[in-house]
Amino acid sequence: MTHDPATIAAFVDGELDDLTARRIEREAANDAALAAEIRRQRELKDRLRSHFAPVLDEPLPDRLTQLLRAEAAVDTSLAERRAARQARFGGQWGAMQWGAMAAALVLGLTVGMQPWGPASPVAVESGALVASGPLANALDTQLASNQPADAATRIGLSFRAQDGRYCRSFESAAVDGIACREGEGWTLEQTLRGSQATDYRQASSASLAAAAAAMMAGEPLDAEGERAARDAGWKRGRGE
Amino acid sequence: MRFEEELVELLPRLRRFARGLTRDASDADDLCQAAIERALKSREQWQQGTRLDSWMYRITRNLWIDDRRAAGRRGQHDPIDDAVTQVAGDGAAEVEAGALAGDVDSAMARLPDEQREVVMLVLVEGYAYREAAEILDVPIGTVTSRLARGRETLMHILGEAA
Repeated sequence: MTHDPATIAAFVDGELDDLTARRIEREAANDAALAAEIRRQRELKDRLRSHFAPVLDEPLPDRLTQLLRAEAAVDTSLAERRAARQARFGGQWGAMQWGAMAAALVLGLTVGMQPWGPASPVAVESGALVASGPLANALDTQLASNQPADAATRIGLSFRAQDGRYCRSFESAAVDGIACREGEGWTLEQTLRGSQATDYRQASSASLAAAAAAMMAGEPLDAEGERAARDAGWKRGRGE
Repeated sequence: MRFEEELVELLPRLRRFARGLTRDASDADDLCQAAIERALKSREQWQQGTRLDSWMYRITRNLWIDDRRAAGRRGQHDPIDDAVTQVAGDGAAEVEAGALAGDVDSAMARLPDEQREVVMLVLVEGYAYREAAEILDVPIGTVTSRLARGRETLMHILGEAA
């Protein structure tokens, strides 16, 4: 075994560049000591994760949620706030807000899913379905190689489509799909009902993977490629 | 509205992180409460479009460190810290390993604070080294070396026990 523990740890943590990671993978196939060390490190990680995982499922204590609900309550006393806004902005703001709410509701009905409220993951722009809010955020920044196990949106594959755009498959409570980078945003190419209900998960993953495979040019991005693409703002590469 | 909603979404993870730092459920929720209060008060400092989770983790971690330092000044001594040096010693380590077999909590308690926070951020919360370094405001090399030492101690206590 020729690698120091820090390198093996970095390998297990997904921190190595792709070339080095592949080399270690290959070596581990023929080096029992290296393979054992990798296993040992993985087991530690798994063990720590599963030890702390139950905290995520605990009901949130009231004293914490109330701090945030009390703040939110200010926003829901609409009449008061509208009156205040009308005094300041001559009523325009209030009308705009109602307009936005109505639009969100219509979108919810049109797309055949629930209206999501203010942090909707989907919006309509120039007649196309685009990602917004938390979904857009996740597509912009989240790496499949390095996302929290409990992320609200899970990124599946990131890949280059045959037309040169970067595309990413994702799953979330409200909607699953494939989004492709257009300018500064993400156009939704495929959408499916959200996969949070566990029965759907596999079927949904499989059909998304198939759809992605059909769009893809070459191989999906590896961890390094994904990170590089994100850092470059998901811009189409040269020569495309 | 968005801000509060995102905080609520973040809460389960934040509680997990705090649980790992404080090693006590109600201390952890006290810490979360303080962090939320701080976040609500200084919400203008959070820049829209940057990651709320990193910002919250940083607030939480800094409050916890402040609290630990204050406790230190008050002369409260964490008995666990004494044990850390013992684990490094050979004979003691064997005894410890036997006694603590299978107990992640006790093993984590053996880590110094600065190693435990890195272990939580990288191994449990799944942050990249660079992200953990930003949250902790230390160079990335510090993250990797603390992580390596933390790992070694944990594997020593937990790994061979089975």
